[in-house]
Amino acid sequence: MSENTVIELKKLTKRYGYGDTESFALKDFNLTIKRGEFIMIMGPSGCGKTTLLNIIGLLDRDSSGEYVLNGEDVASISSKRQARLRAKKIGFIFQNFNLIEDLPILENVALPLVYTGYTKTARLKNASNALKRFHLQEREYYFPYQLSGGQQQRVAIARAIVGDPEIILADEPTGNLDSRSSHIVMEELKAIHEEGNTIIMVTHNPALTVYATRVINMLDGHIDTDIKTVSDANLPQPINVKIMKKKSKKNRRKK
Amino acid sequence: MSLLIKTHLKLAKTAIKENRTRSLLTCIGIAIGVASIVLILSLMGSISNLIRNEVNNIGGDLIVVRPNSTKDSITSVIEELTSSNSFQKSNLTISDVSAISKVENVAAVAPIAVSTNTISSEKNTFSSVSVLGTTDDFIAIEPFALKFGSFFKDESEGKTVVLGSTLSLALFNTINSTVGKTITIMGEKFMVIGVLEEIEKSINFDNVDFDNAIIMNINELNEVTGSTQIQQINIKAANTESLPQISADIESAIKDNKLGDENFSVAYGDKITHPASSLFAIISGMLTLVAGISLVVGGIGVMNIMLVSVAERTHEIGIRKAVGASGRNILMQFLFEALILSILGGLLGLMLGYVLAFFISIVTPFAPYISLGILALTFTTTLAIGIVFGIYPAIKAASKNPIDSLKHYR
Repeated sequence: MSENTVIELKKLTKRYGYGDTESFALKDFNLTIKRGEFIMIMGPSGCGKTTLLNIIGLLDRDSSGEYVLNGEDVASISSKRQARLRAKKIGFIFQNFNLIEDLPILENVALPLVYTGYTKTARLKNASNALKRFHLQEREYYFPYQLSGGQQQRVAIARAIVGDPEIILADEPTGNLDSRSSHIVMEELKAIHEEGNTIIMVTHNPALTVYATRVINMLDGHIDTDIKTVSDANLPQPINVKIMKKKSKKNRRKK
Repeated sequence: MSLLIKTHLKLAKTAIKENRTRSLLTCIGIAIGVASIVLILSLMGSISNLIRNEVNNIGGDLIVVRPNSTKDSITSVIEELTSSNSFQKSNLTISDVSAISKVENVAAVAPIAVSTNTISSEKNTFSSVSVLGTTDDFIAIEPFALKFGSFFKDESEGKTVVLGSTLSLALFNTINSTVGKTITIMGEKFMVIGVLEEIEKSINFDNVDFDNAIIMNINELNEVTGSTQIQQINIKAANTESLPQISADIESAIKDNKLGDENFSVAYGDKITHPASSLFAIISGMLTLVAGISLVVGGIGVMNIMLVSVAERTHEIGIRKAVGASGRNILMQFLFEALILSILGGLLGLMLGYVLAFFISIVTPFAPYISLGILALTFTTTLAIGIVFGIYPAIKAASKNPIDSLKHYR
């Protein structure tokens, strides 16, 4: 495994039901993802795209197979450890934004940092910086319902990148947006990708594949086509200075 | 961890504020239970206080022997409720009294035996009057003065009694001296040789309302009623310095006299302040039961509201889990909310309880009694209620599947 590999899936299987009702969302699924890839996963409904994303995002577990994240086998780790990894290494972007309605957007963005041991000041500072990037800084204390769909999705993207994750998972991020907002959101994702972030995105919209470095078509739980538009050598790589990393050493919860 | 506790507290505060009405109602549920507990403790505390003051007035040289009753436990309270006379179980006898009087440094020994009888004068008849049997040492131990006449010296004087002041007035319809008049108890005639000053302390360590009692020699009481149950023996020590030694001597003297029977207790100083009345034990036992039930009901209210809260915030739980909250994080978040609800209820109950105690103090001699013990008990009780009734909803929240939760909408 080359050191640029972020994710390696080997013979991944996700089974639902037993006996007569047995069905497979994923069957013997193999995939290797390199750092800096922007992968678009396409395919008809029910082909296992979302299941794949949930398993990669450690929200779901595979039935059998191997999942190596950053060189660590995470297929059978404890759910507590899974939660830790979600907080530190994975950023989620959802179709319906999934912001907490009762919290101002600044605290929504700071949410992943709550569970990784940042002090409150550091949390809000990082969140503020992330929002600034999406030109939402002056609306820090707005609540999600006071923002448009496009703005809410940008808040969600800010939340996904605030913890400086290894991979960003997006499940139809433009699905609920008009074309103008979609365009803005895609441009933001593109900018994030160009800084060397790895993005895996599920979409139904073939027009968006122009942003991708790799397009995977799925069918019935396996890869139908897998096209790379950018060679591995030309993938953007992360510059190591990104978001301010100030953790309070004393209060850090680490084994 | 401390960081997270702060966050949890803040989240709980926000959640409670947002659902102000239902949080308040839940708190009131807890508050009613806590208020009744505080009220009971405050009343019991003030009774002990009254007795403690009385013992202090008598002086530090008092030692009290009581038969070992288990009046503190709920079962014996119920037992007392169902049996007509609670004094029948005493195992102290006249021979114990004489054994104690032989102990070194004992200045005076007076048994207290109470029976309830119908008594009559030429004018009036009263039923259920406390007739107290004791010895002539009684007046040397108690701080009572006589209004008229004198206390009996010993039984050689024949059938004589001393009356409480209220009873004297009631029997003979006069506030003048009733010394020399005759009363009848169970057909026997007794001469009044003394009347006590008004005492106006129906709560005391003897558990006798002296204003409404008749005092006579214990042997005469024995002859009239056929049996006497000594409910308490009061002892005056010759010096206050060696009270522990004297009480230990008394203990071994009684034990020798009883051939090893240890079913009694010797107390001095603050330990005497045990609320002697079985009535208070019964009332407080009943109140504690009711308070316990209402606390449980309040706790169920907390659990109910927490379950609603968890269901309402399923989506939020999904989001929090997706961005990295572990089950434990979620559990703590909801447990803190339940704890804060019940502690707020506890504080409310504390205030309510003392307001009630204050109103009761207006019409009774019980002053509201506040102690660190009551505060600590209230706090730990509400904390326990919060944990016991908050843990199930919190576990339910923590064990939610993030994928399903994310699909859940309000």
